[in-house]
Amino acid sequence: MKTITLNIDGRQVQGASGQTIYEVARENDIHIPVLCYHPAAKPAGACRVCVVEVAGARSLVASCAQPITEDMVVNTKSDRVIAARRLATELLLSSGNHNCLVCEANGQCLLQELAYELGIEQPRFSVSPPGYGIEEENPMIIRDMDRCIVCGRCVRACNEVQVNRVLDFSYRGKHATVGPAFGTTYEDSECVFCGECVSVCPVGALTEKQGRFKGRNWEVKKVRTTCSYCGVGCQIELNVKDNKVVKVTSDYELGEPNHGSLCVKGRFGHDFIHHPERLTKPLIRKDGKFWEVSWEEALDYTAKRLKEIRDKNGSDSIGVFTSARCTNEDNYVLQKFTRAVIGTNNVDHCARL
Amino acid sequence: MKVYRSHLMICGGTGCHASGSIAVKEALEKELEKQNLTEEIKIVETGCNGFCAMGPIMVVQPDGVMYVLIKPEDVEELVTEHLVKGRVLKRLIYKEPITKEEIPTMQEIPFFANQELRVLRNRGLIDPEKIDEYIARDGYLGMGKALTDMTPEEIVSEVKKSGLRGRGGAGFPTGTKWDFASRSQSDVKYVLCNADEGDPGAFMDRSVLEADPHAVIEGMVIAARAIGSHHGYIYCRAEYPLAISRMNIAIDQAREYGLLGKDILGTGFDFDLEIYQGAGAFVCGEETALMRSIEGHRGMPRPRPPFPASQGLWEKPTILNNVETFANIGQIILRGGDWYASIGTEGSKGTKVFALTGDVNNIGLVEVPMGTSIGTIIYDIGGGIQDGKKYKAAQLGGPSGGCIPAQHLNTPTDYEAIAKVGAIMGSGGLIVMDEESCMVDVARFFMDFCQDESCGKCVPCREGTKRMLEILTNITEGKGKDGDIELLEEMAANIKDASLCGLGQTAPNPVLSTIRYFRDEYEAHIYDKKCPSAVCSALFASPCQHMCPIEMDVPKYIALIKADRLDDAYKILLKTNPFPSVCGRVCNQACTSRCRRGQTDEPIAIAALKRYITDNGRRLVIKKVPHDRKEKIAVIGAGPAGLTAALDLTKRGYAVTVYEELPEAGGMLRYGIPAYRLPRETLKEEIDHIIAHGIDLKLNTRIGKDISFEQLKKDYDIVFMAVGAHKSYSLGVEGEDLKGVYGGVEFLRDVNLGKKVDIGKKVAVIGGGNSAVDAARTAVRLGASDVTIYYRRLREDMPAQEEEIDAALAEGVKLELFTAPGKLTGKSGRVEKMEVIRMKAGDFDSSGRKRPVPQEGGNFSVDMDTVIYAIGQQPDISFLPKDRGDIEVARGDTFKTTGRFKTRMKAEGFFAGGDALSGAAFVVTAIDAGHKAAGEIDDYIRTKNNEPAWQAPEMEKIDIPTDIDEDVIETPRFAKEHLKITDFVGNFEEVDKGLSKKNAKLEANRCLRCDLSDID
Repeated sequence: MKTITLNIDGRQVQGASGQTIYEVARENDIHIPVLCYHPAAKPAGACRVCVVEVAGARSLVASCAQPITEDMVVNTKSDRVIAARRLATELLLSSGNHNCLVCEANGQCLLQELAYELGIEQPRFSVSPPGYGIEEENPMIIRDMDRCIVCGRCVRACNEVQVNRVLDFSYRGKHATVGPAFGTTYEDSECVFCGECVSVCPVGALTEKQGRFKGRNWEVKKVRTTCSYCGVGCQIELNVKDNKVVKVTSDYELGEPNHGSLCVKGRFGHDFIHHPERLTKPLIRKDGKFWEVSWEEALDYTAKRLKEIRDKNGSDSIGVFTSARCTNEDNYVLQKFTRAVIGTNNVDHCARL
Repeated sequence: MKVYRSHLMICGGTGCHASGSIAVKEALEKELEKQNLTEEIKIVETGCNGFCAMGPIMVVQPDGVMYVLIKPEDVEELVTEHLVKGRVLKRLIYKEPITKEEIPTMQEIPFFANQELRVLRNRGLIDPEKIDEYIARDGYLGMGKALTDMTPEEIVSEVKKSGLRGRGGAGFPTGTKWDFASRSQSDVKYVLCNADEGDPGAFMDRSVLEADPHAVIEGMVIAARAIGSHHGYIYCRAEYPLAISRMNIAIDQAREYGLLGKDILGTGFDFDLEIYQGAGAFVCGEETALMRSIEGHRGMPRPRPPFPASQGLWEKPTILNNVETFANIGQIILRGGDWYASIGTEGSKGTKVFALTGDVNNIGLVEVPMGTSIGTIIYDIGGGIQDGKKYKAAQLGGPSGGCIPAQHLNTPTDYEAIAKVGAIMGSGGLIVMDEESCMVDVARFFMDFCQDESCGKCVPCREGTKRMLEILTNITEGKGKDGDIELLEEMAANIKDASLCGLGQTAPNPVLSTIRYFRDEYEAHIYDKKCPSAVCSALFASPCQHMCPIEMDVPKYIALIKADRLDDAYKILLKTNPFPSVCGRVCNQACTSRCRRGQTDEPIAIAALKRYITDNGRRLVIKKVPHDRKEKIAVIGAGPAGLTAALDLTKRGYAVTVYEELPEAGGMLRYGIPAYRLPRETLKEEIDHIIAHGIDLKLNTRIGKDISFEQLKKDYDIVFMAVGAHKSYSLGVEGEDLKGVYGGVEFLRDVNLGKKVDIGKKVAVIGGGNSAVDAARTAVRLGASDVTIYYRRLREDMPAQEEEIDAALAEGVKLELFTAPGKLTGKSGRVEKMEVIRMKAGDFDSSGRKRPVPQEGGNFSVDMDTVIYAIGQQPDISFLPKDRGDIEVARGDTFKTTGRFKTRMKAEGFFAGGDALSGAAFVVTAIDAGHKAAGEIDDYIRTKNNEPAWQAPEMEKIDIPTDIDEDVIETPRFAKEHLKITDFVGNFEEVDKGLSKKNAKLEANRCLRCDLSDID
C-alpha cells in the first residue's frame, strides 16, 4: 500500500492509496460531518454534507467518496464548504418532521448534531413534511418516513451488508423515498426484520418499536455482551435503564464477528428477559403438576434419576443435548460430565437457532 | 438496378409521421397505380428531412422540388400536375414567411441553403432501412479503413486530430476519452451510445437514428476497434419507437453483411451491439446513471472517480458517446481529422446539429459549421420570429442550459463562447422565445422539469430544486418577496457547486441566466406584482388590463359599450386615466398586444372603443377640491405626467402649482403630436377638466428665467419635474447647422406654435419612429410635394406604429429603407443636397436587430429643400442651476431616481417622471409616471409627518354586465371611418373619424371577456 501525503486544512497528513479524504481526515482527528456515509457500505456521495474544497477541482467534492492523491490540498471549512453544508442541512431540516422532542433518535441523531454544529435554529424554508404517516403494523420496527432524509444508508445496508435486497429508492425528485418495492409495508415485503436498516438510520425514521419511549440514549447504560441466541458470538450492547433491558443494539465499531449486524432474534428477541412467565426457580412435576422446589432438591432429584437410568439401562441409554445459548464453559463442563460421569459419547449441541 | 425517371422522397421521420406522411405515402402509392406510373416513378421513404414544421414533406428528384404540408387529398393534383404535366404545383411549395416569396427547390430555401451537412449528409437522400443505400453514399468505408489500414492508436490519434468534442453537451474531447479507455487494461470493455435524448425540445439524436442508423453503427465499430471492445449498447429511450425499429433493422442488416458481429470484414475483429431501452428518466443521460440502468438497476448516478474509462459498465472500462458524436466518426476516419478540423472555431471543430424550435418561423433540424452565430441560425436559417414579433431569448442546452438574449445574438456556436454568456452548447436544443414569453415562467418551467427528473439521491438537487421551484412558483403567483432573487442566486450557486451529478450541477442554470439578463422581469413580479409579458395569469384578470401601464379596466368599459351605457363607461375610463380622449387616439396600445382575441383572428380595437366612449359619453361636472393640506407642491411641465400628478395630488387635498414654459398646457400632446391625429379642442377639453379641480396653472413661465430654481425650492415643499423630452438628438453629420435642417421635435413645435416654417418642396425625414412619421405627414400638409422618410433598417424594425406608417404612405410619403444621411451641403447657408449612405444588414446589435452597416459603393445624393432629423429626443435640462446638488442626471440628460422608487430622487423633496425620467416614451407611460409620482409624493409627506397612509375614497359602484357571446365567429376588426382628403395642404383636420355606433357595438361584442374566466 503506497503512502500518500496530502494537506488538509493546512496540515500535512498521510494516508494509504485507496483511502478517501474523509477516512484520512478522521484518522487525523479532522472533523468532517457526514450523514449518508457508513463504513459498512460503499460510499454514495449522496448527502453532500461531507463536501470539501479540493484545490483545482471545478466543484466541491464529497470527501466520503473522493480518493486521496499525492499533494492534494483540501479545505474542510472554507466559506464555500460551510455554505454548501448549511444549505444542505437547512433543506433537510425543512423537508420533514424533524421535531426532536419525542424523537427516539434525540441525542444520537446526525441531523440534529449537524444543525447544532452549524448553529441553525430555524431553516429559511417552510417546514413541509411529506405526510406519509407512521408505519407501525409490525412488532419490531417503526417507520416514520416523515423523518426520513433519504440518505440511502438503509438501502445500502439492506443490499450491500445483509444482501436481503428488500429496500431501494422509489419515485423521483421531491417524491423520492426509500422502502420495499411497490410501496408495501415491511410486513408485506420480503423483509426478514434483521433490523440492519434501523441500526444504520442516522435519524429517527427507523426505530425499534419495543424500546420506544422506554429510555433516551443518554439515560441508558450500554452493557456489552455476546448474543446468546446462537454460536456466532455476535457482539451486542444491552441498553439498560433502571435495571431493565429496554433495547438491544450493536455497533460497527464493536468489530468481529458481526460489525454491528444482527439477526431478528438477536436484535428484537429480548422481551423474554423481563417476561413475567420467565422461569426463575427450578420446578419438579409431581402428580402431573409442576411444583417449585429448592436447587438442592432439584439437583438431588436429577442426579438420582440419571443414576437409576444409567444403572438400569446402561450409559448409552442417556443422551445430552446442550444449547448454543449457554457459554462455552458451560458446554465444556457438560460434555465432560456426559463422557466422564455418565460414560457416553451421546452429546450434541444446537449451534444454531 | 431498375432506373426510374423520378423519385419521390417522402419524409418518414417521426415528425412527418405525426403530421400524416404515412397517409400521404399510401395515397401516392394508390395514385401512381391509378395513373399507371409505378414503373416510372418510385416512392422512397427517407429519414427526417429536417424541416419538421413543414411536414409532411416530399422532394421530387431529380428536379429537387420540395412540396410541403401535403395532405392525402392533394395527391391526385400533385401527381397530375408535377409528374404527368411537368408543372410545379405552386400551392404546395414553400413560401418564405416574411417576403411571401414562393421557393420551389430545396437548395434555394434559406433554411437549407445556409446549412453545412456532415452528420446529416444522408438526410432525405436514402432509405434508412436499406443498408445498400448507405453503402452507396460511402457508408462503412471509414470503418473498413479503420479495421484494415489503421492501428487502434492511429484511430485515436485521427479522432484527436479532428478536434471532435462530445456532442452530448459537455464537449469533452472524444479522442482523449478514447485514449483513456484504450489504455485501461481489461479483457472486457464496452462501447456505449447515449441515445437517451431527454431535453425538452431536442430531437437531433432521434432524427439521426431514424435517418441514418448505419452511421451510428459505423462510428461505434470504429470506437470499439480503437479501445479494444467487443460489445456495445445503444441506450435509447423507449419513447423513440421508430428510431429503435430502424436501428434494429440496421443492426440486423449490418450483421448479415458481415459489418457487425464476429470477424468483421474478415479482419478477425469481433464487435456486436444491442439496443437497451431506457424507461424515460432524464437522469439516465448522465453516464454513471445510464450504466446503472443497463446493469438492471434504478438509474442513479454515482460519484466519480472511478471514471468510466477505467471502471464503467459492470466495472469494466467503458466509453460513452452521444449519437451525433458517433455519426461523425466514419467521415473523420475516411476523410481524415484535418478535413474535419478545417471548419469551426479554434476550440470547437466541425459542425453542430441544432433542433430549432419555439417561436421561430422555420422549425426543424439544422446543421451548421461551429462558429456560426446564434443569430444566423435563428434569422437566416430559422427565418426570424413568427408573426413579426420581437425576439426575446433562446434557450440553448435545454434545462441544463441558459438563455441567450438579444444582445448576445452574435455569440458564435463555440463551447467556450456559449459558456461565457451563461448558456451551454448542450446537445443542441435551441428553443426560441419571442417577446411574449415571461422569463420567470420559463425559469419556473425548466426548474419544474429538473426537480421532477431529479433522481432524489443527493440533497442539493432533490431538496434544493424543490425549494427553488417553490420560490419561482411563488414569484409567478404574485407571492414573491424581497430577497427572493438573492436567495435564488445563493441557492443556485450552491446547488451547482455541491450536487452529485451533472443534472443538479446544471439545474440552476436557467434561473441564473434569466436573472442575469431579465432581472427586471423578476423585480416586476416581486415588487410590482406584474408580469410584463402577461403570462403569469395568477397576477391578473385580463391581459389587456395587465399590459396597460395604468391598468385601465378594458373588459369593463367594453362590456358597458355593448350595454349602451356610455356614461358609466366614461366614468370607468376616468378612474385611471385623466386623458382618455388622448389615449383613444394616440396610445401605443400595449393592451392589444396580448389580447386573447388575437389568438383567434385579430385583437380587439381597444383604443378605438375607448375613443368611441369619449366621443359620446357625458362629461362630468367638476367641483374644486378644497386644499386641506398645508404642503405646497410645484410641478414643472404641464404635459401628461405633470398634469396627472397635479390632478391626483389636488384630489388628495394638496395645493399644486403647475409651471409651463409654453403658451398652452399639454406638453408633447399639444406641441409634438399634430392636430390631424389629436384635435386641439379635444385635448383642451380634457386639460380644462383637469385644471378645474383646483390646479394653479402658470403658463409662459420658465423655471430659471421667470422664476429662479432657488425660489421654487424655497416656496414649495415638493418639486415634481416632468419636463418631457423636448430636444432632438443631434444627427452628427457635417452640415447639420445649415438652414432648412430641423430637429423633429423642434420642427413640430414650431408648426404647432403657429410659426411660419418654410420647408420648400423636397423634404427628407430621417428616422423611423412616430415623430419621424408625424414630421413627414406634417410636411405634406405644409405643402411639400416630395416627402421621403430615410430609415436605416427594415420597415418591420421601424418603431412607429404600423397604422401611422400606412397612413403616411397613403398620403404620398415615400420610404427609403436601409439608408442613412451623410454630409449635408448647401448654398448661402441653406441646405440643398443630402448625401445618402446605402446600408445593409450586418451582425446583431444589442436590441437583437441586425445592425445597419454602410454598403460599399451604394451611396448617392439627393437635392433637398429641408431635412428633418427625428432619430430620438432627450430632455432639455438647461433650466437647472449649474450646481445641481443631489439632483442626479443620467446619460442622455434624463433624471435618476433613488432606490426602488419610481419617481423619488436622491435630492430631498424632488421627484421626476415622464419622458424626463424614462427618455422619450408614450403618453400612457407618462400618465402612469404621474400617478406614481403623486403616490410617492403623498407617501413621502405622510411618512415624514408620521401620518397613516392615504386611503382612497370609496368609488361609485358601477354594475358590469357579464353576458358573453358564447358562439365566437371569426371576424376581423370592424372598420373605423376616415376623412377623405383631396388636398392636404393646410388641412390639419383629424383623419381618423372613429367607430360608428353600429361598428362600436359589433367590435365590443368581439371581446371574449377573459376577465371573467373564474366565474361559472
